[in-house]
Amino acid sequence: MLKYTFDWSIVTSGKYFEWLVSGLKVTLELSAVGIVCAFLLGLLIAVLKMSHYRPVRWIATAYLEFFRNTPLLVQIFFWYFGSYKVLPTAVNEWLNSTNFEFAAAAIALTIYTSAFIAEDIRSGILSIPKEQMEAARSAGFSYLRSMQYIILPQAVRITIPPLVNQFLNLAKNSSLAMSIGVMELTYQARQVESYTFKGFEAFTAATVVYLGLSVVITALMDLYNKKVLNPHRA
Amino acid sequence: MKRLAAVVMGLALFGSFGKAMAAAPADTLAEVKKKGVLVAGVKDSLPPFGYVDEKSREIVGYDVDFVKAIAKKLGVKVELKPVTSASRMPQLTEGNIDIIAATMTKNPERAKQIGFSHTYFATGQKFITVKGKVKSLKDLEGKKIGTAKGSTSEQNVKAALPTATVLSFDDYPQAFLALQQGKVQAVTTDEAILAGILAKAPNKAKFEIPNVQISNEPYGLGMRKDDAKFIAFVNKTILEMEKSGEAKKIFEKWFGKGTDFQLKRTFKIVADK
Repeated sequence: MLKYTFDWSIVTSGKYFEWLVSGLKVTLELSAVGIVCAFLLGLLIAVLKMSHYRPVRWIATAYLEFFRNTPLLVQIFFWYFGSYKVLPTAVNEWLNSTNFEFAAAAIALTIYTSAFIAEDIRSGILSIPKEQMEAARSAGFSYLRSMQYIILPQAVRITIPPLVNQFLNLAKNSSLAMSIGVMELTYQARQVESYTFKGFEAFTAATVVYLGLSVVITALMDLYNKKVLNPHRA
Repeated sequence: MKRLAAVVMGLALFGSFGKAMAAAPADTLAEVKKKGVLVAGVKDSLPPFGYVDEKSREIVGYDVDFVKAIAKKLGVKVELKPVTSASRMPQLTEGNIDIIAATMTKNPERAKQIGFSHTYFATGQKFITVKGKVKSLKDLEGKKIGTAKGSTSEQNVKAALPTATVLSFDDYPQAFLALQQGKVQAVTTDEAILAGILAKAPNKAKFEIPNVQISNEPYGLGMRKDDAKFIAFVNKTILEMEKSGEAKKIFEKWFGKGTDFQLKRTFKIVADK
């Protein structure tokens, strides 16, 4: 039996604590960018998918099926390594001089999650009786304006619980960015492990932080739901 | 409040798993003989130390030959388990493998956690770069440098080049792909590994390994600490292999003339002081 002595001090103070904090910062940035962009993109795709024009619907469907049904890790590699083959040399050189690791991970997370969000929002829109759209159109609203003022505000409200799921998934999926060298929380936990061999402590700390992050996201969405969307309900 | 309680309960459950983990045999030598199998953690994409042979579909290499020799001496079969730089130590301490033969550098921090054999391979850490770009270490200051996660290479390069950005990939082939695409300006690790990567590269004429060395890397076989009998057995075996010339033969087979590496054997397996 191997003796293992826990040493929590390495993850609560000093150099390794700072590594974890810097990792958390990147995870927060990645999650925030991803959540905002994925929501907006998902909204757009949902509306496209419900368009009256068949080709537009086809494009939206192809997008949804492709990005929902391929692994996120593959998509991250695709944007990071695969884009090199398609882009012109000058663009590649410019990308390589920037923090392209972060950008590629953010793009992959956004696009992947937006496909799921689009389907959630679409189901929200479909749950609004179609008479509302008809009423709005006969009251003189254009299709887009009816969406904007009548349908979407209600649909988004209904969509909040599944959206929270997608946001939580995105925050946790951001850990895959470490595979292309983005120094986020899981990456830093692994760094701490390889320097100190205190993997249990490092990953427990990371787990607690992810848990905290998820609880905060859930609480914020709850608050938004209660205070902004349904202020009159108990 | 309910949610908080649920979170606390979840954590408690998670914690109890931790205690159930980590049950490795204390006397590997007796255990392996009883099982009739020596389970070895090796690399599977790192020629010529450990990689999948295209014809036989089996893992072969320098590390593998050492493990096989030890198993032969024990009179047991070998089971090869692919490991990565980051996974090999946990795999060993958790008892999933009995010995690590995966290009592992001996260093004091690691020696606190596991036991090492005598040095069975010696090399130094260098860089692969685009030809003609790097003459000295200075040329790499402030640049992006790729390596693999959980390796000593990562720590050495951070110490030698504090101004450089180190990008750690899951393994060396990805790091080299990043070099080919200009995403990093150099890939760094032990020279023997770099030579292996370069030998397999499709456009090897574009790259080189400049004579810039930042560390000495003695490789050791890793075993569980406090497993003195097994460590002594392995040490005795590899010293005998040196004496009989078998160790040299293995080196020549994988690195010598007629291979892509053409390295000279500048070390001998001797007992550590």
